[in-house]
Amino acid sequence: MVDVIKKNAKAVQESLFSSVGSSVLTIGTSYLVLNFFRGMFGFVMSSDKDWLAVLNNMQLYMVQAYPESDFIRVWISVGLTFVFSGISIGLWRSDDRSNISVMFDRFYKLGLGVLFFTIVAPTFTSYMGNDGSVITEEVFSRSSRIGMLIPVLVITVGFFLLKNRKINFSFNNSDAVFLYLSIPIALIWIIELPTIQLDQNKDRIIPDPLMPIANTTKVPWTVIFVLFLLSYFIGIYFKEVKRLKNIMSISWFLLPLLIFSWIFKKPQIEMAEVLTGDIPIFLIFFAVGLGTVLLINNPIVKKYYSIYIGVVIVATIAGVFISIPMLAKACLLLLGLFVTVVPAVSTSQQGKKSLIIIWAVALVTLTFLLRGGASETGIVVPGSSIFGGFSLTWLLAIFGTYVSFPLGVLLALGRNSKLPIVRIICTGIIELVRSVPYITWLFFASVTLAVFLPAGVEFNLIVRVLMVTAFFSGAYFAENIRGGLQSIPKGQYEAADAIGMSPFQKIGLIVLPQALRAVIPTLVSSAITAFKDSSLVTIIGLFDFLTIGKTVIDNQSVPVNFVGHQRENLIFVAVVYWIFTFTLSRRSMKIEKRLGLGER
Amino acid sequence: MSIIQAKGVKKWFGDFQALKGISMEIAEGEVLVICGPSGSGKSTFIRCINRLEQHQEGEIVVDGTELTNDLKNIETIRAEVGMVFQSFNLFPHLTVMQNITLAPIWVRKKSRSDSEEKAMELLNRVGIPEQADKFPGQLSGGQQQRVAIARALAMDPKIMLFDEPTSALDPEMIKEVLDAMKELAKSGMTMIVVTHEMGFAKEVADRVMLFDEGMMVEENTPVEFFDNPKNDRTKLFLSQIL
Repeated sequence: MVDVIKKNAKAVQESLFSSVGSSVLTIGTSYLVLNFFRGMFGFVMSSDKDWLAVLNNMQLYMVQAYPESDFIRVWISVGLTFVFSGISIGLWRSDDRSNISVMFDRFYKLGLGVLFFTIVAPTFTSYMGNDGSVITEEVFSRSSRIGMLIPVLVITVGFFLLKNRKINFSFNNSDAVFLYLSIPIALIWIIELPTIQLDQNKDRIIPDPLMPIANTTKVPWTVIFVLFLLSYFIGIYFKEVKRLKNIMSISWFLLPLLIFSWIFKKPQIEMAEVLTGDIPIFLIFFAVGLGTVLLINNPIVKKYYSIYIGVVIVATIAGVFISIPMLAKACLLLLGLFVTVVPAVSTSQQGKKSLIIIWAVALVTLTFLLRGGASETGIVVPGSSIFGGFSLTWLLAIFGTYVSFPLGVLLALGRNSKLPIVRIICTGIIELVRSVPYITWLFFASVTLAVFLPAGVEFNLIVRVLMVTAFFSGAYFAENIRGGLQSIPKGQYEAADAIGMSPFQKIGLIVLPQALRAVIPTLVSSAITAFKDSSLVTIIGLFDFLTIGKTVIDNQSVPVNFVGHQRENLIFVAVVYWIFTFTLSRRSMKIEKRLGLGER
Repeated sequence: MSIIQAKGVKKWFGDFQALKGISMEIAEGEVLVICGPSGSGKSTFIRCINRLEQHQEGEIVVDGTELTNDLKNIETIRAEVGMVFQSFNLFPHLTVMQNITLAPIWVRKKSRSDSEEKAMELLNRVGIPEQADKFPGQLSGGQQQRVAIARALAMDPKIMLFDEPTSALDPEMIKEVLDAMKELAKSGMTMIVVTHEMGFAKEVADRVMLFDEGMMVEENTPVEFFDNPKNDRTKLFLSQIL
C-alpha cells in the first residue's frame, strides 16, 4: 500500500511539478478550476435558482408544440432509430475485449473525482437578492457532505481494491455500451425530483410527494432500452449473414425518410384499400421483377429483351395519362429502371440474389412512402412548424450531415474532375455557397426561394431550410474532402490503373476510402459546427433548442410563473449541446483509432 | 509471335523528349532486362506499355491491340499486363489479402472464395503466407514488394512489367524479391524488368537492353552484353556500376 502511494506521488510530481514553470501552471489552473466549480456549484444549488423552470418545460424543449395526442409517433420514431442502431451495433460488433479491471479503474477514477469535488464543494453561497442585498445561505451542510463522502469513499476504495486484484475476466467493448446505458435507465426510476403542481386556486405549490424524474417518459425510455438490447442480440445472432449488413446500410438511408413522413403526415391506412390496392400491386410487380431476374439467361428471353424494355417504357409513359393507382405508376417507373440494369448485374448467382432483395426492399419502401405521402391529413401544429426544440436541432444536424456529406463527396470529386464543365459547375457551386453567410442563405430559404421554384410548387419552410443547409454544409464538406483527395499519392492512382480498375472503381475502392480517412477530424469538426449553427434558424422564426430555452420564460402561462429564471434554462441548453458535441468528438477519435490501423 | 511490338515510339514531356524512337519486340515467355542511367527513358518506356504514360508518335501493340488515344477499354489491356512499382504502391487501407483479391473480385468478377484461395497460393509462392491479414504498413519493404508481385500475378497477366522493383529496398531485402522474380521467370512468364541488378540480368535474362538519352543504344544476349559489349556507352555504363 505504501509503495503504491509512493509510486503515485512520484508520478504526480513528475507530471505536475517537474519544473518551476509547470508548478506555477498547475497551481494557477487548479485555482481557476476550483473556483469555477465552487461558483457553479453554489449557483446550481442556491435556493434562488429554480430548476423546475427547466424540468417543467421539458416537453417544449423536446418537441415544442407537437400535439400530445400524436406523441406515439415521436416515440415510435425514436424507438425505431434505437432498434436500427441496436441491430447495427450487433452486426458490426467488434471483437475488441477489455479486461474487467479497465472498467473498475474507470469507476475508481470517477469515484476519486466525486470525492475530490465533494470535499472542495462550498458550504455557503451568496447571491444578490431582489432588493439588492447580498444573501448568504447554506447549500451543502456538513451532515450532507459527510453523508455523501462515506458511501462514495467506501465504493471508491472497493473499486480500487478490485482493480488491483488482477481478476481474469474480460468483456466485449460493444457489450459494455449497454452496461453503461443501463445506469441512466436505472437512475430515471430511482432519482426523484419535484415537478410542478397547482392547487385549486391555480397557485403554484411545492410538490409533495416527490415524483420520479422523467415521470411521464420513464416507461417509454425503458421499453426503448429493452428493444435496443433485444435488437442488439438479434444483430449478433445474424452477424455472419453478409447480406443483412448491406440491407441495414440501405435501410439507414431510408429510415430518415420514413420518420420524416411519419412525423409529418397521418397515414390513412384503410384496410380495404391496402388489401385490394397496395398488396396486389406489390405482389404483381415483385413477381414481374423476380421473373425478369430468373429468366434473364434464357435464350428466348435474351433475344426479345430489348422489346420487353420497350414495352415497360411505353407502359410507364401510358401510365402517366391513364387513371391507375399512384402506386402502380411509380412501380412502373421503378420497373423501367430495374429492367435496364438487370442484364448488367445478373451475370452471377450472387448478383441475382442481391437484385431480388433490392427489388423487394425498393417496392416495400415505395409502398410505404406513397401510403404516407398520399395521405391528405397532415399533423397540424397551430402557429408554428411541426419540428421545434430538440427535434428541430436534431433534424437539422442529422439531415445536414446525411444529405450534405454525399453531396460534399460529389462536389469534391467534381471539382477534381478532368471534365472542364463538371469542374467549373462544381467549383462555382462551392464558391458561391461558401462566400455567402449562412444567415443570408436562411433568409433566402424563407423569403426568396419560392420565387425560384416553378409555380404551384411549394415546400414547407423546414424543407426549404433543409435544402439550403444541405448545400451550405455540403460545400464545406467538399472542401475538406478535396484536401483529403489531394493527400493521396499519385502512385495509388497508378497502382489502381495498373490492375485494370475502371475510373469508378478506382475512386470508390482506392481513393475515397483513403481520402475520407485522412480528413475524419476536419469532417467531424464540420459536423459539430453544423450541429451548433443549426441554432441560427431562430432568425427566420423557427424554434430550435436554444430558442426554446431563451423564449420559454416569456411565454409561460400565468399560473406556472418562472419569470427571472432564464439563466437556468440557458445553462441547461449549453450542457445538452456540450454532451452531444463531446460524444461526437469522442466517437470520432475512436473511429480514427480503429481506421488508422493500417497506416502506422 | 511477339506479344509486344513497339515501333518508333516517341514521347515528349513538354519540350523535353524522353523517348527518341524506340523499336523493339518481345516474344512470349521471354525475359527482357532494360538498364541504363537515370533519365534515360527506361521507366517511361515500360510505363507506355500499359499506358500509364501516353506516347505521342510511333505505335505500341500489346497482345494484338494497338494502344491509341481512342482505345475505349484500356482496362482490359491493363488487366493482362501486371506492373510492379519501385515504391510498391500497395493500398495502405486494405490488408495484404484484400490488396491481392481486390482486382480479381472487382475487375475479373471472380467469387471471393476463389480469389482468396488463389491469393493464398500466390502468397505461398512469394514466401509470405503468414502475413495475409496484416496491413502493408506492418510489413518490411521486401515483404511489401513481394505482396505487390502477388497482387499483379493475381490477375493472371500475360506480361509482367517491373519498374526498378529493388531500388527502394535495403540491400538485405533485395535478394528475397529477386528470388521471387527468378522463380517467376523460370515459370515461363513474359517479363520486362527495369533494374540495375546485373546479377539478375546475367542469371535469368534472355536479352539485355541499354537505354541512354531516350534511345536504345545496345540490345544483346546477357553473355555478350557483359563480356563483349558492342557499344562504347555500354562499356562506360558497365564500368561505372560493376
